Parts: sequence; structure tokens; C-alpha cells
Amino acid sequence: MKKIIRTIILACLIIPAIALLAFGPRAKHEVPPGFVELQYWEKWSGPEGIQMAEIVDDFNKTVGKEKHIVVDYMSMTEVNRKVLIATAAGVPPDIAGCWDGQTSQFGALDALEPLDDLAREYGIKKEDYKPVVWDLCVYNGKLYSLPSTPASVALLYNKRIFWRNADKLRAAGLDPCRAPQTIDELDRYSDVLTFRDAAGHITQSGFLPMESWYVNYLCYWWGAGVWDRNTGKFLLTDPRNVAAYEWVKSYATRLGKDSVAEFRQGFGGFNSAQNPFLTEKYAMSQQGPWMANYIYNLKPEMSEVLVPKQLEYFLPHVAREFNYAWAAAAFPSAAGEKDAAFCSIDTLAIPRGAKHPRESFEFIAYIQRPEVMEKLCSLHCKTSALKKTSDAFIRNHMNPYIDVWERLLASPNAHGSPPLPTMAQLNADLKVFIEGVYLLKVDPKKGLEDLQKREEEQYARYNDRQKARLAEAK
Amino acid sequence: MTTLEAPTTSRSQAPSRLIASRAKRKTARKGRRQSNPFLIHLTLLCVCVLFIAPFVWMVSTSLKTVDQVMRDPPVLIPKPMMPENYWKVITHPKMDFPLFTRNTLIIATLCVIGTVLSSSIVAYGFAKIRFRGRGVLFALMLSTMMIPGAVLMVPQFALFRWLGDHTPIQFLGTFKPLWIGAFFGSAFNIFLLRQFFMTIPDELSEAARIDGCSELGIFARIMLPLARPALAVVALFTFMAVWNDFLGPLVYLQRPDQYTLALGLQTFQSQHGGTEWQLLMAASVLVLAPIVILFFLAQRTFIQGIATTGMKG
Amino acid sequence: MASSKRERREFVKGMAFVSPWFIGFLVFTLTPMGLSLYWSFCDYPLTQPPLFRGLENYRVILHETDFWISLKNTIYYACMALPAGMCVSLGLALLLNTKIRGLGIYRTIIFLPSLVPIVASALLWMWIFNAKYGLFNEVLAKLGINGPNWIADVNTAMPSLALMSLWGVGHTVIIYLAGLQDVPTELYEAAEIDGAESFRRMWHVTIPMISPVIFFNLIMAIIGTFQVFAVPYMMTQGGPFHATYFYTMYLYENAFQNCYFGFASALAWIQLLIVVVLTAFAFWTSTRWVHYQGK
Repeated sequence: MKKIIRTIILACLIIPAIALLAFGPRAKHEVPPGFVELQYWEKWSGPEGIQMAEIVDDFNKTVGKEKHIVVDYMSMTEVNRKVLIATAAGVPPDIAGCWDGQTSQFGALDALEPLDDLAREYGIKKEDYKPVVWDLCVYNGKLYSLPSTPASVALLYNKRIFWRNADKLRAAGLDPCRAPQTIDELDRYSDVLTFRDAAGHITQSGFLPMESWYVNYLCYWWGAGVWDRNTGKFLLTDPRNVAAYEWVKSYATRLGKDSVAEFRQGFGGFNSAQNPFLTEKYAMSQQGPWMANYIYNLKPEMSEVLVPKQLEYFLPHVAREFNYAWAAAAFPSAAGEKDAAFCSIDTLAIPRGAKHPRESFEFIAYIQRPEVMEKLCSLHCKTSALKKTSDAFIRNHMNPYIDVWERLLASPNAHGSPPLPTMAQLNADLKVFIEGVYLLKVDPKKGLEDLQKREEEQYARYNDRQKARLAEAK
Repeated sequence: MTTLEAPTTSRSQAPSRLIASRAKRKTARKGRRQSNPFLIHLTLLCVCVLFIAPFVWMVSTSLKTVDQVMRDPPVLIPKPMMPENYWKVITHPKMDFPLFTRNTLIIATLCVIGTVLSSSIVAYGFAKIRFRGRGVLFALMLSTMMIPGAVLMVPQFALFRWLGDHTPIQFLGTFKPLWIGAFFGSAFNIFLLRQFFMTIPDELSEAARIDGCSELGIFARIMLPLARPALAVVALFTFMAVWNDFLGPLVYLQRPDQYTLALGLQTFQSQHGGTEWQLLMAASVLVLAPIVILFFLAQRTFIQGIATTGMKG
Repeated sequence: MASSKRERREFVKGMAFVSPWFIGFLVFTLTPMGLSLYWSFCDYPLTQPPLFRGLENYRVILHETDFWISLKNTIYYACMALPAGMCVSLGLALLLNTKIRGLGIYRTIIFLPSLVPIVASALLWMWIFNAKYGLFNEVLAKLGINGPNWIADVNTAMPSLALMSLWGVGHTVIIYLAGLQDVPTELYEAAEIDGAESFRRMWHVTIPMISPVIFFNLIMAIIGTFQVFAVPYMMTQGGPFHATYFYTMYLYENAFQNCYFGFASALAWIQLLIVVVLTAFAFWTSTRWVHYQGK
């Protein structure tokens, strides 16, 4: 009896397996004859991936059809690592959608095709782009990538939390109807808006520097930098950098490092409805323009205070912001600079050894067309990489505060990460250093001194290797 | 193998003698073959609760709604139940469940066939044919188990590229790198099978040899049928390893339509930590279920299969 | 002459049987190892040809603080996970070797975790260790204890991972179980007549009898512990503040994040060296405690 049951169960497992092997679905792969198929690997999955796939579809239906090119959109996790391995293996994708960090890293590794000649041919030039964006596409004097979407970082705040605590804020001498304008104000807002339960656990916080994605780049709001591209010197020990991380540390000491660690454990993922900004655990956040999309998709009521989204465009333009429970402003600068911001871009590049660079560039150039870029950027709820934007782009943008991010991206005080060949290492080391700071394991000044020494060594070693390579080539 | 004698070093004493001497000193309780079964049950139950708690959570989460997943305090039995999560997983746009299952099955089948075939042939060679250099080769084979995967990963990758460039067969971008190695045997399985073949008396093969049977004939007609339980163990081990392999597909498979199940699970975890817990857990349950059933059915054969091979040096 | 001819024939026959493995060994193990040994003396950023630099990589490695941190962490982890894993798995195997009802279910449950896809188990455990919603802290809170931050705390992160590793002892348990099946019952009977208590019986009969299996598992555990990677990498990325930064992560980051492949190859060879030394040490001690049955 037992044996029969066993056999039956086994059969139930094996028969479907064989059926699946024999008749199961196969990878669909059809290219019309005479067409060149391009593999386009991109980081975006979820809604952003679907939106990009829509743009790819547009291309395939228009320019692609005309020039016999089919672009195949593939979204994947850890795209930068995969692109690198595939390039090293000699089977790279045709188009790689990475971040600006890879422009210098891959450029330094000689893993990307320079695009200068093709760009010239297609009339793509520096003057058309916001300066910070173009800078991020260039490494060592060569153009290695072009932007798909850019972003600047601003301060988001929850107006509802501000209103709810208006009396307390006023008592502290703060205006509940606007964002903090200096770091000192930010601290004071944050203190008023931080709450604990009876047992002393934090239940809501005003602002947490350690929760920011951009805590690696705080220096740009303190008027400093990490590396000087002209002199090749690291600037980590700059007193302004020390001040920035002393500021991070002040939050850990003020709130208690263990309390903060425990509080942060209760956060859901960024793109979930449990994002702490959406669950109102977190009154202020340092974020990019895409947040508008996430807020609308995951917690629509924060974007529909007065009327449903569809009716919002019938409101007078000035009244639009009253439809939102949140708002955005420039993140205050400790150096008193106007509109200081960190910017980063999503890039399109052609890996070294890709088989159809010209056709690939056709697609990249298509994305650079003002109308295409505006369509993509408004779908993603981002600003445009181009200097000129159409009126309709700003007016009809899903993000009601897009002008803030637009202003930040165009600002003279906007900075991207420097074109440092060892940037990946620096970022990893910075992350550890900052963890040490907010766990009170590292003194900012001492830590930055050590970091500076380490990064100098890394960079010197890189230069040393390059020199050896050049000598060998001769 | 049933007698206990000749301990390997002079320092150690034969255990039985030890016991005898100790027993003289102690008056011991008598008449109990086994420790208290109740106690054993109790201990095992406690351990099993600890071992199974994460699974209960897994299943419970797979039946929750998004809101319930993050509720504080968490609930064990979700209300309402969401069995449709499973349907959502199977039809998920990001994870093509049937396709990934098929991919996994293709690789697993090839690996199982390859491993069983090659490992048994090699194991027979190591166990039954006395040739010069056998000891050295066997030691060499065992020592390959010690090599960290990282040493081999990228050079192997480069090797497949080189093979693709210099032979008409393309390796990278296909499933080949994931199963081709199986046809060259794996050290662990060869070791396992060799131990098994060692227990088969030589008289059997001698008799066949006198009858004019070739070595390959002896292997195929006499040894393989005898080795069926051990081969089943090797097949199962291989199947489970391939089913759950993550690093191999991660390195070699680039196109999402080639993904295996274990790799596909990662699509539920997003870059910024926003994980669709309920779907991830539902998918995990689906991936896990077949091999759990398989193991439950086979566990006795499994253990006896390893036991008869005698995992002894 | 005849014997040498026969010897040659046996050799050819033997090699013919062993050749699948041998060819595989040459192509997929020896060649890659040779390449990686050569690369370990090179600057080799994957995308450019390797450039010979002598002992440069090894010199740099020994001066890197991250190398020492990751090595220290790995040893710290091994010191916790290895003995704990050995004891727990042996204990479970002894319990499972009894003749009681429901063995199959117990065995399956204990082996179950080894079957969980690693992505799922990493995420599952991230959740169990979550300081706010996690299983552990929920249970502790019911008992009135304020639980630690587990993997989010510098001090508890590594012990947490070691604790988690106990969950995956199923494989080892199975191998022990197999070993225990071979312990001849006559021995127990002898001990029974002598009147040995069950604990003594275990200590003086069972353990020595399965000492070769213990040894086998020890070697496997040493090798395995030094290769721990994917699960902690997914759970902590080496954090917080490098508390769970394993040697393998250091290697992986250098290989795939910085593309210092020569450097990473040197690291891999150092790892191999460490494992070989440890294994050799285990072999050396084994003469004192491993009893092979007469053969």
C-alpha cells in the first residue's frame, strides 16, 4: 500500500516534469529577417522598466523599422556587474544601461566604446545638455556614455506632519508652512518631529541622515568635495567634510545609536507602501524626483488631497500643490550655497566588443531627441537632461514640484560624483566609514584621515599600474 | 567491517576494552536497550519546532496581503487568506514560472545523467582496477574538493570564452557551461560510489571475467545493477544541488529567459530592498515543494544508500 | 616481462575508466588553476590583457587592513559555527538514529532547510532577525525580554550568522546518520552486557566508531566555512561596519566590483593555502582520535 502511494506521488512529480520538458514554453526569440537585433540591458524593473520598454517599443516601430533594427529590452539586477563580466567574456550586450559611476570605472578599465565620433556625426553636443549631466558622461576627455534620465536630490517633507505639529513647531520658533532652510533649522525641525513611545522606542523621526541614499555625498551640501579632478588630490580631510560627518554623528548621539538601529529595522522597502516616508514614520527625506511616482502609486491619497489626480490639471497652476500632502525644496546647504545639490544620471553606453556599435548608437541617439527624452523623463517622473525643456513638459509633469528638481539640476552648485577611476572602491569604503560613524565606532576626523590615506594609496596604485601598462605598450 | 580491532595508533585503545574496564568500576543500570523514547521524542519535537518555525512563517507569509506582511505584531494565521498569491506568482510578468521550471529541469536532467554516468565509470576504475598511479590520482581527486570555488570561477569563465572562440561550439550565453562539467564526474560523487564499489566482493567480477566478459561488460552488467541504491543517492544529490544552485546561473546566465528557478526568485527582491514578501515566499514554497516531497519519499533509501557506501577513508 | 605487459594493460584499462574525470580535471580544474596562479602575479583587470607584476599583489594584500579584517571575521565565524555545527549535527544524528515512530518526518524536517533556495533562506532570516518584527524578538518580547538588534548590531551580527548556520546542518546530519547505520549492533549488545549507561555507551562506543565520519565532516566543514558567501552577502553585505565582512566577500568585491582580477586570484590562492594548512593540521591530529575499522 505504502509503495503504491509512493509510486503515485512520484509519478505526479515526474510526469508533469517530463511534460514540461517536452511541451513547455520556450524562450521566444524571433527577429524579422534582415534586421539587426540589439540586446539592451537595463537596471530598471517594475514600473520604470515597463516605461522604458514602452520607449523601446516606440523606437522599434519608428526608427528601428526604418533602419532595420530591433532593440530587445532586458531588465536585470546588478546590471553593472553583469555587463562587466559579459564584456570581459567577450559577449557584451549591445547597449548597457548603467549609472554614471560606471562611466569612469568602465572607462578606466577600457570596457566601453568612446562615443565622440558618433556623437559628432549625430549632432549631439555638450551645449545642449545641463553641464553637470554632460560632465558625468565624460571620462579622461572622452565621451563614454549618454544620459537616459538624470536626477537631482532635494528635500522632501510631509506637509501633513508639519501641520499636525504646527503648534510645537511654532513654539520652537519654526514655520510649519515651509521647509527648513539651513542645516541648523533642519535639526530643530527634526527634533520637534521626533517621537518616542513609553518604552523609549522611536516611533517617528523628523530626519535621519543615515537613512539617506546620499549620505556618501554630504560633502556637496557642505561646500566641499571628495576628489579634485584638476589636481588629482583627495579632499576627504577637508574640515567641511569632517563637519558633515560630525553632523551625522550628532544624530546618532542625540537619538541613541541603538534606538536608531532598531527604528530603522522597522522600515519597509523603498518601493513598497511601507516606505517610511509613506507610512509617516519619517517626516523629511533626501530624495530624487521619482519619489512623486512612488508616492502616487503606493499611497495615492497623499497626492489627492483635494481632487483625484485626473482632475488636478483643471486646477489653477498655483493651486496644484494643495492637492499634495508632501512638498519638496532644496536640501539646505551648510555652506550657505543657493540650490546646492548632488546629481546623478542613468546612462546608456556601448560596451567594448559590442557587435553593432553604429546601430546601438542609433538607439542611444533616439533617446537624446528632446521629445523622446521628455517622454521618458516624464514617465519616470524625472527632470530632463537637456538644457532646454518644453513648457508642456514642466506644466503637465506628474511631479508637481518638478521645477525644484529642475532648478537644482541646472544650478551652478550642482555636483555629480567625480570621474575617479577608483570610485567604486571609494564608495564602498565611504559606506563602511559612515556605518562606523553612526554606530559611534569611528571618530569622523580620524576616520576621514584614514580614509584619505587609503584612497590615496588605491589611486596611486591605479596610476602605477596604468604607467606599467603604458611602458609595456611601448 | 563488523569486527573492531587494530586501532590505528598505539595511543588509542579499542573502545570495547575501555568500556569493559570502566564497567567494572561502575554499577550501571540494566535492562534498557534504548534511552527513554519519550525523552527522545520530546527533544526531537523541540528541535523540529525550531527548524520548522521559519517554514511556517514562510507559508503563512505566502498567504498574506501586502499590509498583513508588515503588521506589528505579526499574525500567524492571515485573515483573509490569499491563496491567489500562488496564482499571481505562476503568472507573474517578471518571473516566468513555467519557463524557468523548464530551464531548471533541462539543466538538472543533463547534470543528473552526466554525473551518474561519468562518476560511476570513474569510481569503478578507482575501486576495481589496480593500476599504477591509482593512489596518487585518487588523492589528487580528493584534494580537488578543497579548492575554493572562487579560484576556478573566472578562469573557467574565460576558458568557456576561449572554447567558444576557437571551436565551432558557442558556450557562453547557453546552458552548456552549467552542465558540461557534470559529464566529467564530480569528486564527491566519485568518492561516494568508489566506497560503494569497494564493498562488492571481487569474486563476482572474477567469475564474469573467466566467462569472457569484458571490463566494460562487468561494469555495465554486474556492477551498475548492484549499485542502484548508491546511484539513486548520487542522482538525488545532484538534482537537489542543481535545483538550488544560485552562483552558477548567476554567473553564466544573462538573458532573463534563460533563468533558473533559484535565480528567478531574486527578481522578487528589488534593488532598493522593496521586496514583495508574500510573492517571494509563495514562489519559494513552490520551488521548495517538489524537492521536499522527493526527499521525504527517498529519505530512507537515501540514508541507506550513503550508509552502504561507508563514508570511511 | 609478462607481468609488465599485464601491468601496462591494467594501466591502460584503469586510465580509460578514470579518463572522464582526468580529462575534466585537466580542462576544468588544472588549467583554470594554472591560469589563476599566473594571474595572481599580474595586474589583470578582466577587460585588459594580464600584465606581469611579480609579487606586487601579495605584497599589497598583506598591507591591506580589509584583508586582515575579513580574515579575522572568517576565523571568528569559523570558531563559532564549526564546533556548534559539529555538536548539533552529531547530537541530532544520534537522536535520529533511534528506533522511534515518525523518524521519516523528523529526518525530513531537519533536512528541509538544506533544500531551501538560498535567496529565500537569506530573506527569510533577514526577517527572523529583524529587530522590530522579527520572529526572535517577537518571542523574546512575549517573555518580557528586550531583544538585541541581531544582524544590525556590530556585536551580535556575526554570532547571529553563526546561529543561523545551525539551521543548515541537514547535510551533515545525513552523513552522520549513514555512518551510524554502520555501527554494528553487537557492540551495543556487548556494552549492554557490561552495563554501560547510554551516555557512556555513546561516548565510548559510538563516537570512536564513527570518528572517521566525524573527521570527514570536519574537513568538509573547514572547507565549507571558508567558502561562506552568498547568504551573508545577501543579508548584510558585510555590514554593519564590516562586522560580517567575510574573506569571500573581500575576494568577490575585488574581483567583480573593482575588477582587480589578478588581485582576487592572489586572494583565492591565499585562501587555498589557509584551507590546505588547516586540513593538513586536521589530518595530523586525526591520527590521535580517528579510529579506522580493521581492514
